[in-house]
Amino acid sequence: MAMALALALAALLLASIRSADALSMTVYRTECVQEHVEYANDIVTGNFVVVDHEIFWASDHPGIDFVATSPAGVIVSSIRGSAGDKFSFTAAMPGLYKFCFHNTAPSPETVDFYIHVGHILNEHNLAKDEHLNPVHVKISQLKEALESLMADQHYLRSRVERHHNTNRSTQKRLLFYTIGEYLALAAASVTQVLVLKHLFNRKIGYTKL
Amino acid sequence: MAGFLRSMIQVLPIFFFLVLQHSQAIRFDIAPAGTKCVSEDLQTNTLVLANYHIVKADLPHGSNPKINARLTSPYGTTLHFAENKDEGQFGFTTTEAGNYMACFWMHSHADNVPASIELDWKFGVAAKDWASIAKKEKLEGLELELRRLEDVVDSIREEMYYLRDKEAEMRGVNETTNARVAWFSIMSLFLCLMVAAWQLWHLKSYFERKKIL
Repeated sequence: MAMALALALAALLLASIRSADALSMTVYRTECVQEHVEYANDIVTGNFVVVDHEIFWASDHPGIDFVATSPAGVIVSSIRGSAGDKFSFTAAMPGLYKFCFHNTAPSPETVDFYIHVGHILNEHNLAKDEHLNPVHVKISQLKEALESLMADQHYLRSRVERHHNTNRSTQKRLLFYTIGEYLALAAASVTQVLVLKHLFNRKIGYTKL
Repeated sequence: MAGFLRSMIQVLPIFFFLVLQHSQAIRFDIAPAGTKCVSEDLQTNTLVLANYHIVKADLPHGSNPKINARLTSPYGTTLHFAENKDEGQFGFTTTEAGNYMACFWMHSHADNVPASIELDWKFGVAAKDWASIAKKEKLEGLELELRRLEDVVDSIREEMYYLRDKEAEMRGVNETTNARVAWFSIMSLFLCLMVAAWQLWHLKSYFERKKIL
């Protein structure tokens, strides 16, 4: 009996854990992902980072657009031309929320994103169910705080990955461009000498004749 | 006793209601001829549990598309391959750190109907079997919850260690690049001077040979 009650409480608390979804996708033109929100007034938080390393001039790339739409078709969050950002909104109604990424550049981009739907037990649940006491509410808030920590960590990890890619690319470019520069310099100077000798040969040839 | 029974009857419906909830999952569409790949960067010794199924509600009446799924490890080995199914699941513990990719594509192009796949992908703390841990360690209710939070905190700490190591690696790369920039610039200046000297010497000896100088 007590076990069933305890299990019920555990289920109530565990159910308020929303498993966060972290994925990495390649966006060619538009990619959409949908996530189900259970309760109204749940807070949906997330972040996305564009992790790419194929761009030649980094300043040229306009970033990607992100649009989050509610089940009713209302745009709840929109970020344009960004290479990575966090977003958060309160879901006014339960249902299937759509998160879309639009890529305006011709080359495909890899996007790391993380979406978390959080539900905090509040006083409303407290009033309805006598077996919830304020401790459960506090634990629910603690859980949400930890989940937001995990979201931030995921964001940092993606940003670090992108930074790492840039650094590796910088090192490779440095090596190859320097070797190319040395070869070009040597070739230019040899060409200079040869051309001068050729000009002088012709001039001397005329004079000697 | 009666009060306890009454309260239990109040609690039980909530229990059943919550147990019957479907778990959180992410949903995406596959075009009839396209492949959709999702990947995640995982560390070693992470437990991964995933199940996927085609969302039947969105399909037009009568069509029954099937998909193929393949899961590859960072080194390219296929960890799971399923063909011509409309649902599946896989679970494993990662042995190497890196990018694990799950790809889905339609089995037959005959249907020409885009399908919507729901993928429930859990790893680390969320993938643990909490029911069996509760039974094994005899935890209930609040204790189980706090135990889960403790695991979450542990995984946060692991992640911080990983970030710290990655930052150290990046700093190494940056410092190497910094040193190389200095060296290559000095060498470039040196090479320039050498080339100028060679040019002068070569032309001088050429002119002396041709009796101009």
